[in-house]
Amino acid sequence: MISQFFVMSQRGDNIVFRDYRGDVQKGSAEIFFRKVKFWKEDGQEEAPPVFNADGVNYFHVKVVGLLFVATTRVNVSPSLVLELLQRIARVIKDYLGVLNEDSLRKNFVLVYELLDEVIDFGYVQSTSTEVLKSYVFNEPIVIDAARLQPLGPASIFMQGTKRMPGTAVTKSVVANEPGGRKREEIFVDIIEKISVTFSSSGYILTSEIDGTIQMKSYLTGNPEIRIALNEDLGIGKGGRSIYDYRSSTGSGAVVLDDCNFHESVRLDSFDTDRTLSLIPPDGEFPVMNYRMTQEFKPPFRINTLIEEAGPLKAEVIIKVSAEFSSSITANTIVVEMPLPKYTTSNIIKFLFTVSNILYKIVGGSEHTLRAKLTFSQETHGNITKESGPVNMTFTIPMYNASRLQVKYLQIAKKSSTYNPYRWVRYVTQANSYVARI
Amino acid sequence: MSGHDSKYFSTTKKGEIPELKEELNSQYKDKRKDAVKKVIAAMTVGKDVSSLFTDVVNCMQTENLELKKLVYLYLINYAKSQPDLAILAVNTFVKDSQDPNPLIRALAVRTMGCIRVDKITEYLCDPLQRCLKDDDPYVRKTAAICVAKLFDINAELVEDRGFLDSLKDLISDNNPMVVANAVAALAEIQENSSRPIFEITGHTLSKLLTALNECTEWGQVFILDALSKYKAADAREAENIVERVTPRLQHANCAVVLSAVKMILQQMELITSTDVVRNLCKKMAPPLVTLLSAEPEIQYVALRNINLIVQRRPTILAHEIKVFFCKYNDPIYVKMEKLEIMIKLASDRNIDQVLLEFKEYATEVDVDFVRKAVRAIGRCAIKLERAAERCISVLLELIKIKVNYVVQEAIIVIKDIFRRYPNTYESIIATLCESLDTLDEPEAKASMIWIIGEYAERIDNADELLESFLESFPEEPAQVQLQLLTATVKLFLKKPTEGPQQMIQVVLNNATVETDNPDLRDRAYIYWRLLSTDPEAAKDVVLAEKPVITDDSNQLDPSLLDELLANIATLSSVYHKPPEAFVTRVKTTAQRIEEDDYPNGSEQGYSDATSQVADGAASPPTSSSSSPYTATRQSAPPAAAPAPAPQVPDLLGDLMGLDNSGAIVPADQPAAPSSPPLPVLLPASTGQGLQISAQLTRQDGQIFYSLLFENNSQIPLDGFMIQFNKNTFGLAAAGPLQVPQLQPGTSAMSLLPMVLFQNISAGPPSSLMQIAVKNNQQPVWYFNDKMAVNVLFTEDGRMERGSFLETWRSLPDSNEILKEFPGIVVSNPEATLDRLAASNMFFIAKRKHVNQDVFYFSAKIPQGVPILIELTTVIGNPGVKCAIKTPNPDMAPLFFEAVETLLKA
Repeated sequence: MISQFFVMSQRGDNIVFRDYRGDVQKGSAEIFFRKVKFWKEDGQEEAPPVFNADGVNYFHVKVVGLLFVATTRVNVSPSLVLELLQRIARVIKDYLGVLNEDSLRKNFVLVYELLDEVIDFGYVQSTSTEVLKSYVFNEPIVIDAARLQPLGPASIFMQGTKRMPGTAVTKSVVANEPGGRKREEIFVDIIEKISVTFSSSGYILTSEIDGTIQMKSYLTGNPEIRIALNEDLGIGKGGRSIYDYRSSTGSGAVVLDDCNFHESVRLDSFDTDRTLSLIPPDGEFPVMNYRMTQEFKPPFRINTLIEEAGPLKAEVIIKVSAEFSSSITANTIVVEMPLPKYTTSNIIKFLFTVSNILYKIVGGSEHTLRAKLTFSQETHGNITKESGPVNMTFTIPMYNASRLQVKYLQIAKKSSTYNPYRWVRYVTQANSYVARI
Repeated sequence: MSGHDSKYFSTTKKGEIPELKEELNSQYKDKRKDAVKKVIAAMTVGKDVSSLFTDVVNCMQTENLELKKLVYLYLINYAKSQPDLAILAVNTFVKDSQDPNPLIRALAVRTMGCIRVDKITEYLCDPLQRCLKDDDPYVRKTAAICVAKLFDINAELVEDRGFLDSLKDLISDNNPMVVANAVAALAEIQENSSRPIFEITGHTLSKLLTALNECTEWGQVFILDALSKYKAADAREAENIVERVTPRLQHANCAVVLSAVKMILQQMELITSTDVVRNLCKKMAPPLVTLLSAEPEIQYVALRNINLIVQRRPTILAHEIKVFFCKYNDPIYVKMEKLEIMIKLASDRNIDQVLLEFKEYATEVDVDFVRKAVRAIGRCAIKLERAAERCISVLLELIKIKVNYVVQEAIIVIKDIFRRYPNTYESIIATLCESLDTLDEPEAKASMIWIIGEYAERIDNADELLESFLESFPEEPAQVQLQLLTATVKLFLKKPTEGPQQMIQVVLNNATVETDNPDLRDRAYIYWRLLSTDPEAAKDVVLAEKPVITDDSNQLDPSLLDELLANIATLSSVYHKPPEAFVTRVKTTAQRIEEDDYPNGSEQGYSDATSQVADGAASPPTSSSSSPYTATRQSAPPAAAPAPAPQVPDLLGDLMGLDNSGAIVPADQPAAPSSPPLPVLLPASTGQGLQISAQLTRQDGQIFYSLLFENNSQIPLDGFMIQFNKNTFGLAAAGPLQVPQLQPGTSAMSLLPMVLFQNISAGPPSSLMQIAVKNNQQPVWYFNDKMAVNVLFTEDGRMERGSFLETWRSLPDSNEILKEFPGIVVSNPEATLDRLAASNMFFIAKRKHVNQDVFYFSAKIPQGVPILIELTTVIGNPGVKCAIKTPNPDMAPLFFEAVETLLKA
């Protein structure tokens, strides 16, 4: 069980502080912040998420620039505490619509009321927004979302694409719309984070997709929902290891390595026709998480060339080709490549970073980035060995690498006129997209 | 409600409290609610609003739940400091606990349980009893947790009023949330109780396994963790349990998955069928890997656990090494853990792939990570004989890039590879020598020098190479000096020509006359004497074959690994330390004292009422607040203080007395009259007026550091903290030092609980303990103390005669060490035996030998090391001969010290 929970800003201000058991000193927040800020242990400069200082165990996660922290003196389950911290952040976000320092301060009474229902004497009671709604009475004061940094992967839908109402994702699930009745809508987001490592010769060394089907429902009366996935979806690698698994064609069945489901999901017919049924609780939650190492077609190919021009000069040429349909546009693209730091005779250090921000890449196109480098010392022909790898980050809306699909989204009808808005959205993001050179 | 809550934080400067007081008593509901919000806002930013107690409590009688909750929040915070006024709330609480609205009923017991004031607690029992049998599950689940709260305040009350039985009944409740909370409460109570309260029988097991399926995710974790203590009767039952738990691996909540893994691993130990085990391993692999898709914080926890799991069952993830390859955007703490696991999973089959990864990491930007990657290559070479050559060629490639820190790290690991495979890879020495000039780190330099010395006969210019280091000999760190000394001696023995002869003169001179490092000097003298008396013998000693080193990547001790595996999915498995090494939960009563202390500290001075209570606490005789609670607390210390007798289990009373009310005493009044004064370790003359006296003591099986702080300076001192340097037994503070602010001319006693085996220093055993104490006003003070090893003697050190004899015989004679204490006289054997027994040195037998009496004793130090002691003396005459036999004879000098102290006392 935990002793205290608190939220701190990155400057070290205590925004929320709740003591549940009184067995950890009150100055713990300050001790924690100093520890994390000046961490230097085992040759690392970043504090691990769990550590012990003077007999008190501190857990922390970072959510949108805030530190969510718990303390305890006993041998608890660390994954429970860390998961709990993430969930508290999610519940607060469900309530407030937007999670940041400002919204927390404006709603402190509500936040304390929530914290009292979420945790009693250090034991988690419930983190379901749906359940909490029956016990929490303060109304959120929704702050203006327009000028705020978006939160989470689904926030990309707010950027540019006209498919969505911009405020949807930052809408509180409990507050009433200013204009009176609530809008009936449900969002289903298929969010995939892909990790690919290309060898220097362009082969794929490792590839992995971490996917989530995320749902956020604003439907009144909580009707039952059915989601159908690809009918030929396979699960488990049938005992074969990743090494020998290679689907030679790119069009076969989608095979997931592993998946898990939210506790509200019923899997009665999942084995037969790959449909999930659930009564969605309020708030944002993952319906299903999945992981896939089956080979897939990477959206981008990266070619890097370093040409040395004399002992103190070189040119880097990075070619990025977008290998997806031209109807799709990738955005928020960053390509970067670390270069060796060569110290000059004095103390000035040069850290060369080629950081080209391309705002958009349309499918099928090809772009070449060039950069000239100058060194403060001779490179001994090692520049290629000491540079790289090239790392790329991007977001591609309406694209999913795994080809897992939501075939249909069925809402149990209350009446013939009941026809809520349904948003099924796909997005693929780079997790670790790396080309070695 | 309208407007923003943050407006409650901004109030007009003048007369904030009176203004709030007025608003709280307003006739308008909304105004009252707003006022309470303002009070809470002030409270959360640390302002003292306790003077509004009565006014806030008056708002309690309301139907408005929102307002009621706010008032309760206020009460939880301030009832402690206003115990007399808190009674005003009792009526409303009791009434609320019978309210038709279940939310109000639950809220009432929940809040009462959080108020640690005896008067409230008295009135809690009846409502709690009712609520445990309430019709509404929300009320029952709240009541279940409330029993744990009550146990924390007053364990006896819980047992007397039969709450434990009611709690056990709730395990069969039809609501899974109630079941989960009952399990959590029982598990906590069990942990803090010495007698069996919550034992899982086959019957409870099946009930809980059924509840598991319907519980919330958090409840599932409570239940799984409670069940993991269950030992199945046989393989069949174990398989049965595993079958019921396996579906939990599919859960989206990582905590559920990890707790399920723990439970399965535990039951697997009983399962005999290899097919079943193999199948289970196969089932566990994908969920474990999926944990690595969670947030980095959770990944870290998963990786630390996986690190343990693969040490016991490497097959589970043998084929999954790829998932541990580092990602570009992994935080450094995740990358470091992944490297560890990659080394553990590296095998002849996948080593090529792994080396390719390590090589890539070794050229990244983060220096710490690069170093670790280079070291990882070396560890693989040491672990996998067949891959050693490939590892070395990767290291050579890295050396050729000539990045300074990579080269140095590579040389360090190559030294280890040479020690693992002697006479195999020396051909690469030439390449290493090329980098000689770039070495600037002590460890790398020392490694290189070791290599040169060890292979001096194969390096043509070994003398030149070593000579280049000699010039800077006096400036080198000790590590490098030691290696230079040894390497030069080796060179001389291998090539006794003129050049080395001169060198050795220089080195020996430098290392004996010119140095003040005792290690270096002693080693130099040994070499010197060896060389001057018998050069052949010197050769045998210095050039002797060294034992081959082994791979250290699985270095956890098997028994520790067992313990850690039993603690999978707990903090223990993240720290890789057994729970007792870091769990410092001070028993609840002692904790409460700390809380009572708050009014003395931060909140003092804001209101008259608070400071009055604080005064009362500080000066017992004038106890103005007539609360009986305070009075009993005051009278406790004098009774407990003069009782160092170990059998009195009033440890907490003692702690209370020394820590709190007895804490601030005038310097001239001895704090604990019956015990001898503590030895002065930091005299006031050294400590700028601060004098510290301290001594280790043992009470009720626990080791304490008893400290006396005397402030003879002109300024108040506060913010005391203490730190112990590494020592032989790894003694360290179990918690923070609790010393109140010390006004000039006052002193304070503190009893600091200690733990063992925290930071164990290497090297020969020593009773030296180095301590640092700091406060907010002065520089850090360092001083030494001598451990009285008898403090470590455990209560279970008594041996049966038979086993004593057996142990004595089983230990070789070389383990017996003798010492004479010429000045000690034993005149009254009975009294001596009693005294020794009180210090856990137990009398076994006595025999007569001529005119001498021979006594045998046994004692034990933690981790079960027995000590057998034989004392021979002539009663009434000076001189005691002491023989000690123990498996750790190198500790004997410490035991002699202990025995001598005890005999003298």
